[in-house]
Amino acid sequence: MRKTLIMLALALSATGAQAQILPFLSKRDPAVPVLQGIDSLRADFAAQSGGTTIYYGADSALLSAPAKALLSAQAAWIRRHPEIVVRIEGYGDTGDTRDHALAVGAERAENARDYLVLLGVPAAQVSTTSWGSERSGLGRAVTVLVR
Amino acid sequence: MKRLSFALLSMVLGTAASAQQPAATVIEIPPLTSPDTGTKGNEMLQIGWEATQLIASDLSQTSVLMPLRPKREDYVSYPEVTAPSFGKWRPLGAKVLLTGFVQSRSDGRIAIGCYVYDASKGAELARKGFVLPRSDWRRAAHKCSALAYTAVTGSPGTFDTRIAYVAESGVGDAKVRRIAIMDNDGHNHKFVTAGDSIVLKPRLSPNASRLAYVSFADKEPKIDLVDLGSGQQRPLLQTDAINFAPRFSPDGSRIAFSMMLGPNSDIYVVGASGGPAQRLTTSPGIDTDPSFSPDAGKIVFESDRSGSQQLYVMNADGSNERRISFGAGAYASPEWSPDGQWIAFTHRDQYGRRVGIMRPDGTGERLLTGGPGDDSPSWGASSRDLLFARLIAPGRSAIYRIGVDGGQPHEVTIPQDGSDPDWSGAMD
Repeated sequence: MRKTLIMLALALSATGAQAQILPFLSKRDPAVPVLQGIDSLRADFAAQSGGTTIYYGADSALLSAPAKALLSAQAAWIRRHPEIVVRIEGYGDTGDTRDHALAVGAERAENARDYLVLLGVPAAQVSTTSWGSERSGLGRAVTVLVR
Repeated sequence: MKRLSFALLSMVLGTAASAQQPAATVIEIPPLTSPDTGTKGNEMLQIGWEATQLIASDLSQTSVLMPLRPKREDYVSYPEVTAPSFGKWRPLGAKVLLTGFVQSRSDGRIAIGCYVYDASKGAELARKGFVLPRSDWRRAAHKCSALAYTAVTGSPGTFDTRIAYVAESGVGDAKVRRIAIMDNDGHNHKFVTAGDSIVLKPRLSPNASRLAYVSFADKEPKIDLVDLGSGQQRPLLQTDAINFAPRFSPDGSRIAFSMMLGPNSDIYVVGASGGPAQRLTTSPGIDTDPSFSPDAGKIVFESDRSGSQQLYVMNADGSNERRISFGAGAYASPEWSPDGQWIAFTHRDQYGRRVGIMRPDGTGERLLTGGPGDDSPSWGASSRDLLFARLIAPGRSAIYRIGVDGGQPHEVTIPQDGSDPDWSGAMD
């Protein structure tokens, strides 16, 4: 809730910066983005890495060659942004039972995380979770920039 | 010719039906009476009459007992409760007689007594008394129903039990889910969670005093534990690891569950009031959905260690794991029946998800429902009935009840959509 409010305040300040000069913004150099919005960071991450989503085979958490290539590009970006924390959110498969889907989603997220760590991303920078079959987006894992 | 084959068919069906379902035992329930007099007496008689109708309604939902419609004019005197004139009921075909009374007490509570008789032999089968707040008379009535059911069948009834489930409104990612709990007959419906985060898989302690469920409030699935009396809530474990699929042991003292250790889900057990968790499985596959045998000596669970989800049984300390399901397709979400005789499961194949049962040694497998979106079976205390969730439209499910002896599933009436039903044992 608090996070939402802060983000809302940032969005407001971005649009209405000229109209009402906020003191904490006016003191900084306008050429360097003070707080680069999480949305533009996400866009940059997706563009530089070639995507945020890793796809898996049915009932499998194994990383395919394209999945590894994508994770390598993601790892390169994350290493350039030590201030950023990412969370990998895994999903299960269509038609699976809830608990197995939760575990499959978690396995997918964990395997992606382990690969990022293998490529030199500090473990503390990556967390994982699983949505199982509780949200749309089955059969994949998504790397989400948290902050 | 056509008529003849039809006659033959109905004969065959008739025989099969009567062999499968023996005729129900007729039970007479004269209105519960009261030793009280005056205004108190009238109040107690009114509770007694409502309780009588509730008992008849309870028993009419079983395939074993057929109550005669209660009639107010069948009123019996207080002494007749313990010394009924059986001759009065035999001509009506009643094989079993249930009498009872409601008595006010000086402390403001009420006493309800129930007596079950073999009407043809004129012998008492069982009796039980309950002292409880006046507003709780329904529970005593359900206990009286259970007394009659157990006297006739030898197994406990589901009358004084509770059902927990996930109440759902909306579809897709906007779906709001709340853990809900209600009495077996739909009364006392309450929401346990507020709907601000995704919740899954509520599991009641056997006497329905506590509830474990999985919540995403902490951004990842974790088990929370609620005391339903005090409303106090706490996480089951202090850990960052994803944990899910909780189930209480038969005495309510322990909880078995799954936890991810890296990319590996294994089964653990922990004391319901705290203490260190003990790891029971170590396979590299996904082990989940543990369920204790009624003697607490064994645990059935699902694992995909063989390449597909199958059912396994192990000793409660994790030793002696052995696979019990060998059919085509996947077997998931097992639950051991309270009488120990069956294991219910969800079966998945190209026809979708269906609910079935098998013996704990893997024999006697039989699918009970037609699918294609049936799952999460949970046993009633009778070990004769199951609840399960059924997909009724894309993204929407309802809760159904089915008897293991056959027959069509019936939808359980709940205020919204529902999934993940869990049926408690008899309350204390």
